[in-house]
Amino acid sequence: MPELSYREAVRDALSQAMRKDDDVFIMGEDIAEMGGSMGVTQGMLDEFGPERVRNTPISEMALVGTAIGAAMQGMRPVAEVMYEDFLTLATEQIVNQAAKHRYMSGGQLKVPLTVRTQGGAGWSPGAQHAQQLEAWFVHIPGLKVLFPSTATDVRGLLWSAIYDDNPVIFFEHRTLYGLKEDVPEELEPIPIGKARVHREGEDVTVIATGRLVHESLAAAEQAEKDGVSVEVVDPRTLQPLDEETLVDSVKKTNRAVVAHEAVTRMGFGAEVAAVLQHQAFDWLDAPIERVGAKFVPLPFAPVMEEFVVPHQAEVYEAIMRTVGRNGD
Amino acid sequence: MAKVEKKGAVSEELLREFFREMLLIRRFEEKVEERFRAGELPGFLHVAIGQEACAVGVCRALEERDIIASTHRAHGHTLAKGTHPNEVMAELYGKLEGTSHGYGGSMHLYDVERGNVGANAVVGGGLPATVGAALAFKMRDEPRVAVAFFGDGATNIGTFHESLNLAQLWQVPAVFVCEDNHWAESTPAKQHLPIEDLTDRAAAYGMAAMRADGQDVEDVYQSAHSALDHAREGRGPVFLLLETYRLTGHYIGDPQVYRPKGEVEELRETQDPITKLREKLGLSDEEFEEADREAHELVEASVEFAKAGTDPKPEDALKNLYA
Amino acid sequence: MEAGTIVRWLKSEGDTVEKGEPLYELDTDKVTQEVEADASGVLLKILAGEGEEIEVGKRIAVIGEEGEEVADAADEAAVEVDEDAQEEGSPAPARDEERERGREASREAEPQAQETARSDGRIKASPLARRIARERSIDLASVAGTGPDGRIVAEDVERAAASPTPVHAPAGAAPLEAEVVPLTSLRKTIARRLTEAWQAPAFQISMSADMSRAQELHARLRDQGVSLTDILTKLAAVALLRHREVNAQFTDDELRIFPSAHIGLAVATERGLIVPVQREVERKSLVQIAAERKEIVQRTREGKLAQEDLEGGTFTISNLGMYGVEIFTAVLNPPQAAILAVGAIEEKPVVEDGGFVARPLMAMTLTCDHRAVDGAKAAEFLRELKMLLEEPGLAL
Repeated sequence: MPELSYREAVRDALSQAMRKDDDVFIMGEDIAEMGGSMGVTQGMLDEFGPERVRNTPISEMALVGTAIGAAMQGMRPVAEVMYEDFLTLATEQIVNQAAKHRYMSGGQLKVPLTVRTQGGAGWSPGAQHAQQLEAWFVHIPGLKVLFPSTATDVRGLLWSAIYDDNPVIFFEHRTLYGLKEDVPEELEPIPIGKARVHREGEDVTVIATGRLVHESLAAAEQAEKDGVSVEVVDPRTLQPLDEETLVDSVKKTNRAVVAHEAVTRMGFGAEVAAVLQHQAFDWLDAPIERVGAKFVPLPFAPVMEEFVVPHQAEVYEAIMRTVGRNGD
Repeated sequence: MAKVEKKGAVSEELLREFFREMLLIRRFEEKVEERFRAGELPGFLHVAIGQEACAVGVCRALEERDIIASTHRAHGHTLAKGTHPNEVMAELYGKLEGTSHGYGGSMHLYDVERGNVGANAVVGGGLPATVGAALAFKMRDEPRVAVAFFGDGATNIGTFHESLNLAQLWQVPAVFVCEDNHWAESTPAKQHLPIEDLTDRAAAYGMAAMRADGQDVEDVYQSAHSALDHAREGRGPVFLLLETYRLTGHYIGDPQVYRPKGEVEELRETQDPITKLREKLGLSDEEFEEADREAHELVEASVEFAKAGTDPKPEDALKNLYA
Repeated sequence: MEAGTIVRWLKSEGDTVEKGEPLYELDTDKVTQEVEADASGVLLKILAGEGEEIEVGKRIAVIGEEGEEVADAADEAAVEVDEDAQEEGSPAPARDEERERGREASREAEPQAQETARSDGRIKASPLARRIARERSIDLASVAGTGPDGRIVAEDVERAAASPTPVHAPAGAAPLEAEVVPLTSLRKTIARRLTEAWQAPAFQISMSADMSRAQELHARLRDQGVSLTDILTKLAAVALLRHREVNAQFTDDELRIFPSAHIGLAVATERGLIVPVQREVERKSLVQIAAERKEIVQRTREGKLAQEDLEGGTFTISNLGMYGVEIFTAVLNPPQAAILAVGAIEEKPVVEDGGFVARPLMAMTLTCDHRAVDGAKAAEFLRELKMLLEEPGLAL
């Protein structure tokens, strides 16, 4: 099996789609010669040329809005918003336009748009360059939201996003770009709306996204040594959520921890906790724990940033709280 | 700034067609006002009384596969682009037979088959998509043009600037039609525009611009034709400024307390595009009344059609979320 | 705008009117403006006078064909949408019926209950129900559930606890949740020290109660495990709720009067005096109280009380009767406002109709914190208790 980094996996999905299909093209800031601020689109300008690998001005509304317009005409554009913090600039177009055209027209239109973006703390980027805003977009009817955490997943899901006829917000995580793994020889599309169980366990279910999937896997190893068996599940698709897999897992273990890098309060994890509480009420042996960032903007100084953002330790502690072994 | 030359004169036959269409829009809008006051039309409605020549002049210059995107004041554009008054009225009544099947209402009229990709309730919201549609036409080598309607108020918003910038940068086949009626809801031009000549806004982006008398349908038609040719032939997007007047309030029921006394009455006397065309064509009273009767009949029929239409089922609200 | 006044009619009855012609002048909160006619025809009838304030929606005139009959003004008012709205838009009153249909459909479409009772061995009970069951040592498997989805809820557990069939787990069986914290000697020391150090201005009042009727009641109920202590506890609860100032706690800065009687029972153990609390005594039957008392005394003697068993008491009863003590004064149990000390029941001569008869008397001494309770209130409470003991039927 070939080994690909997460970054290469994104590039591979984009390139394969563009080779197969003239209607697929990419646009974004600095994606052409520079190959993107995260190096994702390196080499693609040479292969596909400037018509299909388009640099845009710093103009997020027009960037995303133009992609919306092209999608409405049947193309499959993939717009890159350099940092998910800048999604805020394009939010009017995403929320008021892309998410609603199909509905407001009574089904006359499709918007097969993909907006790729990334975020992630841990390198002192400061408060405006590392937010995790998936909670904003899962809240909007009409959008699909994906957040893969491995190279295999990002490749298979990006393909599915491109070929889904609905607007998809596709979150990548900065700290995962270099993460390598063996991937299938052939690109295998992964269905949207299907969670993935990374690790099976009996005592606690940890539902995690993005970087926290890996932190949770490490925490699970740690908990194992303390005699606690942890199941780790990555929803991968945040909207529509694979409630069945998550609920089945919690019904098996009777305890749940929801972990994400985004701020805990009012986050995506709150919705998951509510769903679990409602559907697995009689299976819960402990309150559902949530792990996330503290409720402050991201500070610059490394010592403060590490305090705010969640890591393996927080997930481990949450796991132990659910089994009634806090302070052990 | 590149100048675009206007086309030659328009035949009388065509002008008569324009007259009938404008009159239809006028009677439609008046009927909408009446039905709104009778409490039959929910939501809010913005009628285009006074701006009929802009809608007809531009839409009649389009070719079959060109597309338009409209604003909150969309009835005129939608009718002029070819949607039957029955379907527009049914949409205002929220019926399944409406052009957006009851999902959109007055500010979200879509008729994709006829090239209307939607009215937009967010000022300037539809402009970027117009750039995108034009980009798609260019990338696929299709001789089609994407046209966006908007008002003078919209020339202040970010999407306007970003869209014109990108459209000109990428030389896409788009025409940006600005219906300058000198009011942004209740705010007069001098309170929201720091400049006098809106074509300067196009100049800022190096874009070709044209100007026409929005109350003269012939002038609008000729200018639109030229602008469309310019874009279609790959010479780049065009900003088309139409000087027009809003002969009613911003929304139905707007008491227009903000408008100088007598302004509306005076404009109705001197700037009504239908009156002007009637005079230009030298229509007799009989000819006018016959045309008016036809317009009234069509409009009355559309109300009957709408009222007899099918209400969506409550659960229909859950459909059409995803493709 | 909810109403306006017609300042002046610009047309009279019988006049021809053109659609769009000004018909009347309307005064609203904002402006006076001319209102145009919506239709052409003859102004057949004017229904609203000049200077009259009219509500929005009321019919004000009728325009029709010459010679047409005007229907009575009493029928259905025309729906007029307010011209001079403060805001854009209209809910379209003529469409209200549809809105009602939409709302109704939404109510009917509430999601179906998740599942009916599942037989996967898991008992469905709410967290609150589980806690109560744990506290009362009730086996959930024996409780029928009436809550959502057939779940056992708190009420179900309470009901099971009240039923005459034995409701607590067989002797020796551990409670559902073995979350018991044994008292450390430190805790006892603290409790003792607090009590000793406490310096409330206390007073005592005493009365004797004729326990004949109480003894009769006891005799009838003793096979069900009810003791005189239980009867006393229950009647004390009734009396407390009738004289709530005594059912109180006094702390540094506030007096808290409770709506429910949580009565502490002083229990002597090898390790010292411990006062576990029976909760909501007024709501429980004698049989329940008895069962609880046995259970809690057992646990007290075994050192298996939880902290919550000792907290929250609103009144305490101390009984040294079994030791032959006739009368004594108990020390207040802070922060409670009062404590009752009872002695042994002894046959004593009582004057009745000029002669002596023997009656079983029990001496009761009530100690009160004067900051919370004054003499009169204390006396009223004690008198009530005496009355109830002498005629338990009065507790109903």
